[in-house]
Amino acid sequence: MAAETVPVLAGVMREQRRPLVLWGLALTAVSTLYIAIYPTMGIDEMASMVDNLPEALINALNYDEIGTAAGYISSTVYGLLGPALLLIFAIATGTRLVAGQEEDGTLELELTAPVSRTRVLLERVAALWCNVAVLVAVVAVVTIVLAAVLDLDVTVGNVLAASTGLLLLVLGFGTVGLAAGAITGRRAIGLGVAAGLAVLAFMLNAIAPTVEAEWMTIVSPFSWFLDGRPLATGFDLSRLALLATVPVLAVAAAVVGFRRRDLMV
Amino acid sequence: MAVIRTEGLVKDYGKVRALAGVDLDVAEGEIFGFVGPNGAGKTTTIRVLLDLLRPTAGRAEVFGVTPVQGGPSLRARIGYLPGELAMSGRRTAGDLLRHLASLRGGAGGNRIGALSERFGLDLNRPIRSLSKGNKQKVGVVQAFMHGPELLILDEPTSGLDPLLQRECLDLMREARDGGATVFMSSHVLGEIEDVAGRVAIIRDGVIVDVDDVGALRSRAGQVVELRFSGRVDIDEFRNLPGVRDVTLDGSTMRCMLHGEPDALLKAAARHRVLAWSAHERELEDLFIDFYRGPSDRRQPEEVTFDGR
Ligand SMILES: Nc1ncnc2c1ncn2[C@@H]1O[C@H](COP(=O)(O)OP(=O)(O)O)[C@@H](O)[C@H]1O
Ligand SMILES: [Mg+2]
Repeated sequence: MAAETVPVLAGVMREQRRPLVLWGLALTAVSTLYIAIYPTMGIDEMASMVDNLPEALINALNYDEIGTAAGYISSTVYGLLGPALLLIFAIATGTRLVAGQEEDGTLELELTAPVSRTRVLLERVAALWCNVAVLVAVVAVVTIVLAAVLDLDVTVGNVLAASTGLLLLVLGFGTVGLAAGAITGRRAIGLGVAAGLAVLAFMLNAIAPTVEAEWMTIVSPFSWFLDGRPLATGFDLSRLALLATVPVLAVAAAVVGFRRRDLMV
Repeated sequence: MAVIRTEGLVKDYGKVRALAGVDLDVAEGEIFGFVGPNGAGKTTTIRVLLDLLRPTAGRAEVFGVTPVQGGPSLRARIGYLPGELAMSGRRTAGDLLRHLASLRGGAGGNRIGALSERFGLDLNRPIRSLSKGNKQKVGVVQAFMHGPELLILDEPTSGLDPLLQRECLDLMREARDGGATVFMSSHVLGEIEDVAGRVAIIRDGVIVDVDDVGALRSRAGQVVELRFSGRVDIDEFRNLPGVRDVTLDGSTMRCMLHGEPDALLKAAARHRVLAWSAHERELEDLFIDFYRGPSDRRQPEEVTFDGR
């Protein structure tokens, strides 16, 4: 039973059931809305719309490929709204699961139970990851179903590739938030660090083509995720591996920091 | 073997020194009271014992190992009730308690029902709808449910009504009778004098006294009041052995007496004494002495006697 082998994880998942369902519904609604209106937009309409936009904005939103289904879904659900909503969820949840609950005192009984600090931290990270994975899966399922129903030119394999990238991107910033909170014991610091880095990474990826600065795409996880155009081209393992380093390194830092400091101060 | 031992335990929060060398020795099977005013360092000491805080200097041991070395297996032997118990969420009290049991590998899960019944705790109510007293009951239940060898209770009776306070003290006695050691803090001595064997008094991060409750009580002294037929000189009484805090109100003299009354009686006998009274001070008053410290002696009139 999960309650015996991973009691911390099981406890958090239980508490998260309700927010998870609500976020799942919100993501379903938003994804459905955006994908469903794609066929109603004629190619010409889309092209003229894009022509009227300043080039910087076209670059920023990847609208240069908006005429294809993959490009459209990439610019809307996978490249903009999905990451935005999922990052809000992941950063808010990640910073709350350790620093937030430590600050409000609700973690005290768990930390004084016969469970090591490392285990508390890792199971809470695992809980965050499970939550994010469920929500990314919701987006993926909605996309796959609608692509089939609306007969869009997007393969299941490519949706899975993009979803994996999206998952790793969101886990990265969510785990950075959890880690910054776990290292400092302050949720506000976790929120600030993770949200700040996420916005910075998004901006760098968005303005890189306009200012023609390649280093921006080299350092931005958003570029690692989107540059390979996974919805059009499928899995790119080297880019996914790069994305995966962020959550892994964040967890390592969190464990080290959380084990050595005073808790509940 | 000492169940809890600290030696020169120092803990700083940044620049604030919360503990300035705490020495404690709690023996197996006793109920040990840890008493001191708010801010004295009780919670800090307790959090070191549970490895939430790491000592700045000095040493703390529980069952012969430091809290860091002991880790989870040490905490499995401890039942802990936090001083400020924070609980929230939609889940029910029963859910939370079962979750806490699962963190102990299931230990104590089978006693949740009986203990809750004893305290009149409704397990089906959501945590966030519980009053402070009911949350405290959840805290008490989770601390005792797995029958730990050591109970560390930070102000356990706060927030409980008198009936449940008694129930909680009974639970401690039962645990002790079953061989457990109880380490409990309080900022009110009267609350634990019935149950504790030994008491340590902490003030400003230092243990200022450790003794049996009985010895403390006898050391608390007496308040003596003498009414004379005429005026007397306060200086006649001020420097007598065992006499403190002398005040004169017209022809009535009041003082605090520790030890033999001989010198005081002989001095008084030089005058005509119309009336006299002497009564034992409550432990609480002794405790107030410690609060005041040597530099801040107020007049005895200000000492309250609320008959605790
Ligand atoms: N997190 C903290 N940061 C800074 N100072 C603290 C903190 N917690 C407690 N203190 C200070 O340490 C001292 C001891 O506090 P505490 O151990 O909570 O006392 P008690 O439990 O006896 O009321 C007090 O002066 C308090 O202000
Ligand atoms: Mg306290």
